[in-house]
Amino acid sequence: MVAIAAERYTGASIKRSEDPRILTGAGRYVDDIKLPGMLHAAFVRSPLAHARVVSVDVSAARALPGVVAVFTGAELEEITVPGPDALMALIGGDGPTPEFTLLATDKVRFAGDPVAIVIAESRYLAEDGCELVEVDYDDLPPVTNASFALDPSSPPLFANLGDNIALPHSRNESGDVAATFAEADRIFDFRIGVHRHQNVPMEGRGCVASYDADRDFMTVHAATQSVHVSKIAVAMRLGMEQDKVRVVAGDIGGSFGLKIGASREELAAAAASRALRRPVKWVEDRGENLTTSGQAREESFDVRAAVSNDGDLLGLDVKMVIDTGSYPSLGVTVPETVEAMLPGPYKLAALGFESTGVTTNKASYVAYRGPWASETFVRERILDLIAKDLGLDPLEIRLRNVAPRTDPPAVMITGRPLVGVTSRESLERIAQLVDFPAFRRRQAEARAQGRYLGIGMATFIEAAPGPREPGGPSGPLGTESMRLRLEEDGIVALFTGQMPHGQSHQTTLAQIAADEFGVPFEQVRVVVGDTNVVPFGLTGGSRSATMTGGVALHGARELKAKVLDFASHLMEASVRDLQITDGYVGVRGDPASAIGVGEVARRAASGEFGPDVDANLEVEAAFDGGEGGWSGGTHCAIVEVDVETGLVAVERYVVAEDCGALINPAVVDGQIRGGVAQGIGAVLLERTAYDEDGNCQSATFMDYLVPTACDIPRIEIEHLETVALDADVNFRGVGEGGMIVAPPTMVNAIEDALSPFGVRIYEQHLPPARILELIAGED
Amino acid sequence: MKLPLVDYEAPRTVPEAVELLAEHEDEASVLAGGQSLIPLLALRLAHPAVLIDINGIAELSGVSATNGTVTIGAMTREYVAEESGTVADAVPLLAAALPLIGHEAIRSRGTIGGSLAHADPAAELPAVARALDAEFVVRGPAGERVVPAAEWFEGYLTTSRGPDELLVEVRFPAAGRGTGSSFQEVARRHGDFAIVGLATSLTLSEGTISDARLAFAGMSDVPVRATGAEDLLVGERPSAGLFDEAARLATGDIDPPADLHGSADYRRKVAAALVRRGLRAAADNAGERQ
Amino acid sequence: MDIALTVNGTPRTGSPEARKTLADFLRDDLNLTGTHLGCEHGVCGACTVIVDGRAVRSCLMLAVQAAGSEVTTIEGLAPDGGLGTLQQAMWDSHSFQCGFCTPGMVVQATAFLSDHPDADEQQIREALSGNICRCTGYQSIIDGVLLAVERSASPDPAAPPNRER
Repeated sequence: MVAIAAERYTGASIKRSEDPRILTGAGRYVDDIKLPGMLHAAFVRSPLAHARVVSVDVSAARALPGVVAVFTGAELEEITVPGPDALMALIGGDGPTPEFTLLATDKVRFAGDPVAIVIAESRYLAEDGCELVEVDYDDLPPVTNASFALDPSSPPLFANLGDNIALPHSRNESGDVAATFAEADRIFDFRIGVHRHQNVPMEGRGCVASYDADRDFMTVHAATQSVHVSKIAVAMRLGMEQDKVRVVAGDIGGSFGLKIGASREELAAAAASRALRRPVKWVEDRGENLTTSGQAREESFDVRAAVSNDGDLLGLDVKMVIDTGSYPSLGVTVPETVEAMLPGPYKLAALGFESTGVTTNKASYVAYRGPWASETFVRERILDLIAKDLGLDPLEIRLRNVAPRTDPPAVMITGRPLVGVTSRESLERIAQLVDFPAFRRRQAEARAQGRYLGIGMATFIEAAPGPREPGGPSGPLGTESMRLRLEEDGIVALFTGQMPHGQSHQTTLAQIAADEFGVPFEQVRVVVGDTNVVPFGLTGGSRSATMTGGVALHGARELKAKVLDFASHLMEASVRDLQITDGYVGVRGDPASAIGVGEVARRAASGEFGPDVDANLEVEAAFDGGEGGWSGGTHCAIVEVDVETGLVAVERYVVAEDCGALINPAVVDGQIRGGVAQGIGAVLLERTAYDEDGNCQSATFMDYLVPTACDIPRIEIEHLETVALDADVNFRGVGEGGMIVAPPTMVNAIEDALSPFGVRIYEQHLPPARILELIAGED
Repeated sequence: MKLPLVDYEAPRTVPEAVELLAEHEDEASVLAGGQSLIPLLALRLAHPAVLIDINGIAELSGVSATNGTVTIGAMTREYVAEESGTVADAVPLLAAALPLIGHEAIRSRGTIGGSLAHADPAAELPAVARALDAEFVVRGPAGERVVPAAEWFEGYLTTSRGPDELLVEVRFPAAGRGTGSSFQEVARRHGDFAIVGLATSLTLSEGTISDARLAFAGMSDVPVRATGAEDLLVGERPSAGLFDEAARLATGDIDPPADLHGSADYRRKVAAALVRRGLRAAADNAGERQ
Repeated sequence: MDIALTVNGTPRTGSPEARKTLADFLRDDLNLTGTHLGCEHGVCGACTVIVDGRAVRSCLMLAVQAAGSEVTTIEGLAPDGGLGTLQQAMWDSHSFQCGFCTPGMVVQATAFLSDHPDADEQQIREALSGNICRCTGYQSIIDGVLLAVERSASPDPAAPPNRER
């Protein structure tokens, strides 16, 4: 067992290194970048959801003073390498590959589909130019819902697919589904839907692409969750060698899964930059963000549940349909994760799962914070529905069904072991934090006065990064790399492919490295956002706490060993007698011997020790996740529903969460609260709306409503004592959990509030008007 | 989301502004607070040829009270009206509605006249003006004209202001003794436009309702008075039963719009609830103005 | 149109087109990119600046309308190289994550606190309800403002000096 370094920073809410610049307006986001000769792009976009493009006349736009160039979709195909959508090319998927062009050429497939790019001296002029482009469209019947898309008579979006099936139907079974259903006391049937909603980061997508003709070199200033993935996408589409492309990123105004790879518009801007030999900036406005950047979660589920009379959830048989929008990409990979996660932390014995993905004339399905979240919604919703029917209370049915923590661990019927899962403890903790009997009394008194309070809970786990699997590293992206170097100024530099966009990595990773290596926090610098300099990585999937925290810990340990080894030559002392504390290498018990680590680095760089001594104070570390692990917990909400107006107030929201060891509690709590806020938003406020012609009706912030400071209550968070699985790395992620479990928590609470009216809820979006419909018994 | 090309004029006096309006008529948009107009321009939903910025016309700002009338200049900022003691004392219904308009930063620039000339039927001030029978003073090339609120609001975002006329001031009757006011609103979030709003004013005299005003926001393409309910209330003593009946009458044959935020049926139900709540609140604070 | 105005205490001039918003003028012409564009239709509050003593949405003002005015942006709130009381309190409270809403939030809170130095939580929430944050769920932001209220009420002599608006 290796001795763990004294922890001065890890576990403390150290103030963020990011904040001095953030708080003073000195952050540097993509739209803040100005390069000499820079031009601005805007896109001509289809007003129609489904149409053939008959002709595109850009002559008036090209003639407008201040407009430098206009490229149509066809023209861009000639100066780029044809191929599929960038993310689809990178992640693959089981479905067929739809024909794809960078901008629309002969056909538009959603309202907002880009048809041409206008490049001008200012964004104002570019938009003026867009208004002058004349496009002749031939209307086609729009496909705006999944049931029409499934109908073979619906006009196919993609000629080469021949129909609107993006992910062909498939079925899997885990466990003995037939027997489980045959033996069950009760069979329940539910139809549950999740509505379309979306990421809405405060900063939209965008980039500044800068092509240097002299060197045939492309630099892209991006807002992205991975500079390396963006670079691959750019190089691929432009047909450039990887070493001729550099992607850099500074501060990023949120993403939640949206900014991965490179969007069609960013790639078009890069192509334009190369053609014009000038930097081109494209930053989407809010209208583009809401209508074209991508949307998520529009999924429906037919669920059969096999249940015992005592409330054991024995088996599920689920049919899922996912609406992947017009240019299928990540959406086709979501069903398999939903299937894998559906059992949750429960003792489910059998799961039948089938899925189909459809294309429709709406914006494309993109990753949104816990893309598979519907599994928790469906499961936690039906547990409540079943409990009501059987006369059990929601806590009781969950405690009954949760898998006990055993050694060896229980295994989900879909294959993953539930190592270290503390769901039972989280349920019990919620029962301590929230006095249910007292609430029920208060609820009854309130009802007598015509006030409707409700309580709801939901339990979840997330693979953050997930348990160690036999034969492979944990986490969806495998091994995490990091380069660590002791610089001559005494700074311990960490080069990571992580690309923080709110996750505070520049603080948290420094905390770990400072502790492990032995320097003050201020003496660690986390370097991100430059493909020339950082190893491959991606921020996403709630994995960085374990994977990057772990590689920082082990890497710092390796670097320290190297430094001590070198120092032993420098100081003519045995490694065993040396220590690094507070930035000084010294002989234990002899303070006068201490030398600053910077001085050690300078001596190493001087070459005075010859080839037999390793003076290269740098390591390339890799970490496979160690034992990994699950995060998870139980959330509980108390709401009040105004039955005259349908408005819902959240009186109290409590979280009992296990995310392993915390690197920085304030950062962890911030992530949880932000996710919960998005979940509350999804239920009460947020819906991406399309009319039957495929026009997006939620195109501004007046119609797509995100929660404000008056909508989100104080969220009480308790961290549970965790099961340590690994000798060193027990940090687990929380990035997505709040958004995954808050929607069922809220819907369960609202249904409880409305139970005097006999309301049963099979959907996730409950705006005031819908609440009144449910009370009135309308479908 | 950048504004389209537009010419710009910044007159210093009302006659200058009127002259510009007479010259450009429907090709001109008057720029007051900009809180409604600039978003329309940014979304390129409006393409006026010229903006006539009246922020520099000093005489258009101010709140004054004479002989039972409170006169508010069209360019009076919403926050100024909100902080005005005269408005608080003499036009309590207006004072009740003002804090519900958007957020403080909107009210820093938004103006009383601008909001009323824009005439969004879901906004608070049109319902207040309609409830109180405010008078709209416009000035055109032919001189000054006074338009009662009942004739001011013609349709969705449409008023009877001629294209060559400028709204210069709005006159509100001062609330008498025994008058209670309430502005009720259901909005999706704090500061949002009303899905349904209700301006209520009740005057009690020896315990009996002598005057009743109910004007809805968000129930039609203009603010609309619930005259049937008003007639029912006059002469009666406040009671829960009376208010229920008024709510039924007020929403009985109204045909509200349906949109993303609420169906027609939803609006009707909410309107009824707001009538009950508004009348209760107005009756309660009528007592305070004896 | 030629305009002259004072920005963060310094006289500045420019020649913006009439249609250019104050937000774009600050960002593009004056290189004060701290003021952010989150929606450009006046809902999200990211573009909030102070004009003649009042918090306004700079995306809903034309630059030419600010001629002769005193404008304070996020860059002008802190003493040189330092942090004001509110900013320090927000740092201590872990108020922010991605930082994009931050300038508007800080400016709006500054304006509000100067009129309501003893504000309570509910008042602060309402005052900031026109500033959208997507990362934090607001609690940490509210805590930062409450901490600033507390510190301003009983200033610690060791704390950095408060910056008057």
